Amino acid sequence: MKPFLATGVIALTTALSCGQVFANKSDDTLHTAFSKELESVDFYFQSAREGTIFARQVWDGLVYRDQTTGDYVGNLASSWKWVDETTLEFKLREGVKFHNGEEFDADDVVFTVNYVVNPDNHVTVPGNVNWMKGAEKVDKYTVRITTNGPFPAALEYLSGLVAIYPNDYYAEVGPSGMALKPVGTGPYRVESVEPGKHFVLKKFDGYYGGPKGQPSIGTIDIRTIPDINTQLAELFSGGIDMIWNVPADQAEQLAAMDQFTVANESTMRIGYITMDAAGRGGEGPFAKKEVRQAIGYAIDRQAIVENLLKGSSKVVNSACFPSQFGCEQDVETYSYDPAKAKALLAEAGYPDGLTVDFYAYRNRPYAEAMMAYLADVGIKANLNYLKYSALRDMQKKGSAGFGFLTWGSNSINDVSAITSQFFKFGDQDFARDEEVKTWLDTGDKSVDDKVRKENYSKALKKIAEEAYWIPLFSYNSNYVFSKDVAFTPTPDEIVRFFDMSWK
Amino acid sequence: MANAPALTAETIVAISPGAMLRRRIFGHYGLLFGLSVLALVVAAAVFAPLLADHNPYTQDLFARMKPPFWMAGWDPDHLLGTDQLGRDYLARLLYGARISLLIGIVTALISGMIGTALGVAAGYFGGKVDLVVTFLINVRLAMPVVLVALAIVALFGGSLQIVILVLGFLLWDRFAVVMRSSVMQIRGLEYVNAARAIGCSTTRIVLSEIMPNVVNNLIVVMTLEMAHAILLEAALSFLGLGVQPPTPSWGLMISEGKEMMLFQPWLITIPGVALFLLVLAINLLGDGLRDVTAPEAKG
Amino acid sequence: MLAFALKRLGLAVLVTFTVSVISFSLLHLSGDPAAAIAGENATAADIAAINRQFGFDRPLTVQYTDWLWKALHGDFGESYYFKMPVADLISDRLSITMLLGVCSISFALLTAVPLGVAAAVRPNSLIDRTALFLSVAGQAMPSFWFGLIMIVVFSIKFRLLPPSGSETWRHFIMPTVVLGYYAMPAIMRLTRAGMLEVLNADYIRTARAKGAGAGRVLFKHALRNAIVPVVSLSAVQMGFMLGGSIVVEAIFALHGAGYLAWESISRHDLPTVQALILIFSCFYILFTLLSDLANAWLDPRIRVG
Repeated sequence: MKPFLATGVIALTTALSCGQVFANKSDDTLHTAFSKELESVDFYFQSAREGTIFARQVWDGLVYRDQTTGDYVGNLASSWKWVDETTLEFKLREGVKFHNGEEFDADDVVFTVNYVVNPDNHVTVPGNVNWMKGAEKVDKYTVRITTNGPFPAALEYLSGLVAIYPNDYYAEVGPSGMALKPVGTGPYRVESVEPGKHFVLKKFDGYYGGPKGQPSIGTIDIRTIPDINTQLAELFSGGIDMIWNVPADQAEQLAAMDQFTVANESTMRIGYITMDAAGRGGEGPFAKKEVRQAIGYAIDRQAIVENLLKGSSKVVNSACFPSQFGCEQDVETYSYDPAKAKALLAEAGYPDGLTVDFYAYRNRPYAEAMMAYLADVGIKANLNYLKYSALRDMQKKGSAGFGFLTWGSNSINDVSAITSQFFKFGDQDFARDEEVKTWLDTGDKSVDDKVRKENYSKALKKIAEEAYWIPLFSYNSNYVFSKDVAFTPTPDEIVRFFDMSWK
Repeated sequence: MANAPALTAETIVAISPGAMLRRRIFGHYGLLFGLSVLALVVAAAVFAPLLADHNPYTQDLFARMKPPFWMAGWDPDHLLGTDQLGRDYLARLLYGARISLLIGIVTALISGMIGTALGVAAGYFGGKVDLVVTFLINVRLAMPVVLVALAIVALFGGSLQIVILVLGFLLWDRFAVVMRSSVMQIRGLEYVNAARAIGCSTTRIVLSEIMPNVVNNLIVVMTLEMAHAILLEAALSFLGLGVQPPTPSWGLMISEGKEMMLFQPWLITIPGVALFLLVLAINLLGDGLRDVTAPEAKG
Repeated sequence: MLAFALKRLGLAVLVTFTVSVISFSLLHLSGDPAAAIAGENATAADIAAINRQFGFDRPLTVQYTDWLWKALHGDFGESYYFKMPVADLISDRLSITMLLGVCSISFALLTAVPLGVAAAVRPNSLIDRTALFLSVAGQAMPSFWFGLIMIVVFSIKFRLLPPSGSETWRHFIMPTVVLGYYAMPAIMRLTRAGMLEVLNADYIRTARAKGAGAGRVLFKHALRNAIVPVVSLSAVQMGFMLGGSIVVEAIFALHGAGYLAWESISRHDLPTVQALILIFSCFYILFTLLSDLANAWLDPRIRVG
């Protein structure tokens, strides 16, 4: 215990000897907050939005999607072409340096791709990368990536989900080293990492520019502050300059005060209710289609959107975000009709209602509102409110089959980014419908847009018809920041510090 | 560690005669105040359905966060306003009193039974039994209550029953400490020896000779532990690992209200004040009872 | 003295051991750790392999002895969530909790002892009543609520103190007050009771009769005697406080061990929770052991008792 005491004393003396840290423009430091303790800043070994945001500042992908035009432009690659249906060839940008001085070339791409696709390395979200078979070097600045079968969304995935690591460094330190001292080519280099707590980013002077452009703000200081009320308190007292994901109520109040800039932007995240139709956690009431449909009719999604989410949120009926390629909108809808819900429950053999466990991990008020609607038709839902990682662990084991969850599709504008996660027999698939899977597989593997659309449409129609899921609403995000900060949020829920500047 | 229980006991029972008298005078006011507030809360809890003309679980998403009566724009239909889901705050507060009282009483009963059994056994039999019980008390005291309770609730789910059981099985230490020392004081007294001499059974001696003489202390500890349990439940629920929504627990109400506390501070003020007053009342009642009934006070 | 010390030490070790057994078995009653580690799309074979690798397929007693043996060497395993050694994770955060604990107990002593003395010197006076009121209120104040109110008042209304974090000493003021206030009532009551008793004792009367000055009597004779139980109570309170700092750390987003415990519990990160329970228990046991030894050294009667 002695070392701990010693550290305590040292911490006390240092704490007493330094004054208050002032946030803002004067010292060119943007203070902001993550609301989640990030398990790792190694992009491939975490699954949080905060991890994606962090990664965008520190690493680059081969291509980049321009947020205004929606076009793919070269980032670490200068050009590319499909050699055949499953081979993409990239010409790489020359003269790019990593933060540690290592030179960027084909070896880095080959190493990164082959490392993350290797199942032995257990990346956290295999679906992000396992469409690739591997990569091979052609020459110092030319590289080929091969896919497992045709994969039309390849560029979309490459732009958002494949960060290129320095091969020599990563081979030496591995994921645990990268999590403490990350090294990339991005506009910001990492000054310090206190795991889960505090991250400091500094402008990388040797940044090559590229489509992200040179960063303007010198230092980004990110602390983990889980509670929105603590984040707001910090904002008010000048401790931080910017927060996001501010709930609608608070954002409205803040906008009325006119002390900060409040910006609302839609996101690709949708909320949904999953139900254990396949009986993975044992035979339950949700094996009956009527019960699942009753859930859909029981909940007034419109009222929840209007009063709780507000902003640009909309009710969604199909199991995807409407703008995603292949997201069929002409599906069975379940509008608020408690009488019908009760009738369906009676038909399913639950005239007196039923009691079930209900799982959720975010937006507890939304979950509570849904529970009250369910209670109205006789469904007593016992709330189990967990951290996302704990909930996912339960789902891996086939439990927690009835719950309110959300999915942001990693901001990928293609329906495969959501259906692959939930309806292709993965650990979050509680429908386990062979027919749906076959359609989705056909859609995912085809390069013909018409074939893809047709198959996704069939799958999504069946998902709605069978009520495997009750899609709820799309999210919006409120960004609140100091009036000194110039920033325009984007619909992909990714905060780009390199696009911000001081006014 | 040997002194830890003794100290806890001392703060509860041992007070010098001079101080006793003054405390007794002060205690009477406290006792009165405690009794009346507690009676009010009990009445509120019992008559909640009559006092509240709303169901505490009925939400109205179109009537959210209506302010309470002392603020502009209040709705006469909702005296204390409504919460984030448009549920009547007064109804939730009244029904919340039931939760707090239930938790306090049942927890105190469970822990009281465990602690009294252990404490009386240790005090009466002494020797090895005492050694074992003292050891158990030390083990219990060394376990961080909040941490252990949070972990158990997280692993086994947060229902009212689980929270009560967990607290009941964690909060018996003070009972054991106080009962042990009280019984030790009277075990050697003449009438106990006399009962033993005429061949009374141990059970009979404990029940008819010992218990009546320590019951005062028992009641005092019970009130204090009730208060303790109510505060702990509120803290667990506040941290999200106690009673689960939509149950109107006061701790949960504070936790839900804190998101809006910078704009609608009354959302946390109302349940907070209620919690404070209830715990204060129970503590004052306990202190008052001790002052009035402690043996020293009679002398 | 040596015999007493050894006996107490033996008891402390035995208590520690029992606590570790209880917490270990409680946490292992639930859940399937292998599935949690295996990650997404793990097959039954993967899970079996992990069971073998981490030894989850062994009897609980074997797992326990293994865990204890490693824990004794400072190895608490790897956090499921952070995938880094629990010992590294904790040591950094424990210093914050320790600092908070030391500040809080100092705050509690510095306010409670003078108040208790003043209350005992002038019983039933305004100051006595104020002290009593403060202590009764302190026992009834939910610390999480008190913390929130402090944030509203001192961070938002008056903008005096930062609402969260641990960068500077100013960040520690509110958490210290909230946590310290929690420990204050017991210390104050004990000081007051002890002082009253000592002030009425014969030797104080003798000292007074001999013409010793009031201040001298108060501080040289009375307080010195009354403070002994207060010191040991503080040690106990300090142990309690480290465990109770969870709530305070959660409110002020202080990334200390208590906060880590809370987050780890809701993430079902068992190795971290396990280690933290053991460490918090050890602190309590250590503090009470030290205070017992100190008391025995000061007061020989305890040694035989």
